Amino acid sequence: MNGANFVVHALKEQNVTQVFGYPGGAIMPLYDALFDGGVDHLLCRHEQGAAMAAIGYARSTGKVGVCIATSGPGATNLITGLADALLDSVPVVAITGQVPTHLIGTDAFQEVDVLGLSLACTKHSFMVETAEQLGPIIEQAFEIATSGRPGPVLIDIPKDIQVGPSIAYALAQLAETQQPLNQAIVTEAKSLINGAQKPLLYVGGGVGMAKAVPALRTFIEQTQIPSVCTLKAIGCIEHDSPYFMGMVGMHGSKASNLAIQECDLLIAVGARFDDRVTGKLDEFAPHAKVIHLDIDAAEIDKLRQVTISMTDDLKQVLPAISVKPSIEQWQQHISEMKVTHANRYDHPGEPIFAPALLRQLAETMPADTVICSDVGQHQMWVAQHMFVDRPENHISSSGLGTMGFGVPAAVGAQVARPNDTVIAVSGDGSFMMNIQELGTIKRKQLPIKILLIDNQRLGMVRQWQELFFNGRFSETILTDNPDFVTLASAFDIPGETIVVKSQIDDALQRLLNSDGPYLLHVSISEEENVWPLVPPGAANDQMMESVG
Amino acid sequence: MNNTLTIEAMHSPEFLERLLRVCRHRGFAIVTINATTKQQVTHIELTVSSDREIALLTKQLDKVIGILKVTLSASNEDIKASA
Repeated sequence: MNGANFVVHALKEQNVTQVFGYPGGAIMPLYDALFDGGVDHLLCRHEQGAAMAAIGYARSTGKVGVCIATSGPGATNLITGLADALLDSVPVVAITGQVPTHLIGTDAFQEVDVLGLSLACTKHSFMVETAEQLGPIIEQAFEIATSGRPGPVLIDIPKDIQVGPSIAYALAQLAETQQPLNQAIVTEAKSLINGAQKPLLYVGGGVGMAKAVPALRTFIEQTQIPSVCTLKAIGCIEHDSPYFMGMVGMHGSKASNLAIQECDLLIAVGARFDDRVTGKLDEFAPHAKVIHLDIDAAEIDKLRQVTISMTDDLKQVLPAISVKPSIEQWQQHISEMKVTHANRYDHPGEPIFAPALLRQLAETMPADTVICSDVGQHQMWVAQHMFVDRPENHISSSGLGTMGFGVPAAVGAQVARPNDTVIAVSGDGSFMMNIQELGTIKRKQLPIKILLIDNQRLGMVRQWQELFFNGRFSETILTDNPDFVTLASAFDIPGETIVVKSQIDDALQRLLNSDGPYLLHVSISEEENVWPLVPPGAANDQMMESVG
Repeated sequence: MNNTLTIEAMHSPEFLERLLRVCRHRGFAIVTINATTKQQVTHIELTVSSDREIALLTKQLDKVIGILKVTLSASNEDIKASA
């Protein structure tokens, strides 16, 4: 068994059954080992696609996503995906080939300092220097990727290590240890909750990563405390939970943002006070004491000074601090705000109104459908108007905001969950950023449904140019887009274009009922904006809204 | 505001790069640094300058894989007093 065979063996020891990647010179020994090694490999058509497919795989399952690339450009092409996984705390292990050890540092063909590049975009990274290190490093990589706050880990393996002899390694049996909760803080938390008049749960992506969704839902059921969520936490709370107000922040619901500003106790659960959530930080939740629950101690007091904090496992913390406060007046107020500021879908004229289309899709799609959105206006419309009831079913590049994320993430999700419907919602700008992944869909005939919302603009930038840059539409007009349906057909993906409301019902049925992949290309007006909008530098109660 | 940290870490070829990157990215300028490695453990005395709270840096350093211990050994006043 050579080093490359050993890598495949070690992946199987970590229960890896699927990897995503792209071969090349310095990783050829590993591809030779993968040829009949018993781990399925999906060829993406760009290493960035492979990294994002690994993210989609990880986020739709909770397992580790694995991607593979060669040295030099293969590795640099992974970088955006690794940064995406870092910002969204996704467990990914990336394996890169490297030039042989004796050539490192000689500017060899396709040599780049991958370890150096990785420092800012991974949770940790390794360069394998000897065959003896291979086993322990692969084991550590998976442990680091999944423990505490998850994240991406890179392993750079020189070619001579791949072709050289392997050294047997027995997996260490790592025992999970759980510290007992600090009872004094538990008591203080319960006292704060019990004494609050207007408590509010601010739920972040950490809840899903901690597999604490059941614990959170039980907590909400027991306490009846109203709640809001971040983009990454969509699906953690049932969408029809009585006091759940949806997403908070720049494009959050009006009720959520007003509730944040009014609350007297904010319970942040697996959330990190991101600037897209807080708006003007000094004026975020100005009347609130804060209980911050997060596994990452570095998030405590990073942006908002908190009253108390706990960095324990949420599955342990949430039951311990569950106490039902008397907040009938606050609950009544929340209920009224939800009604007063509910989304409206009445829209004049024949042109398609994207929020209404997405709402209809959410109401029509099968149970347990996975939505992978790209980045831009359509991403916010998905967050505002669609609904899922598991965080694994809403996959969006939240922290990094990576255009081009949607289609490759859908590839990973569809491979991971072949029996579930997977819908990629994209925009015309984002779709073109990883268009080559249509080749991956064709290659495996993945039955991904693509909903392409096309306003012939880089819509979110256009919206900001309209609102904040005096309507100077610098490089955001895309009237020279390709014919997307023809483009899809070149990859054997059937599709159609719709432009008016009366076409929606039948087109959605064709999209959802297609056996294979399908492209529904939806033409909308460039003048539709995402509302409400907290303008940059403003507090969350200073929302701009549609005047229509 | 200057702060002096004592750091112990498992030796690795890129460890100092990791340390310096975190300091810079989190908004802390290096004033002085002294590093010695013995028996696979790197010992570092580091003085940093920033308007930000030192806890913002020490919490990030605590997360760096390979760092065994981070101790705040002197704050601005202490440094001045010993100067």
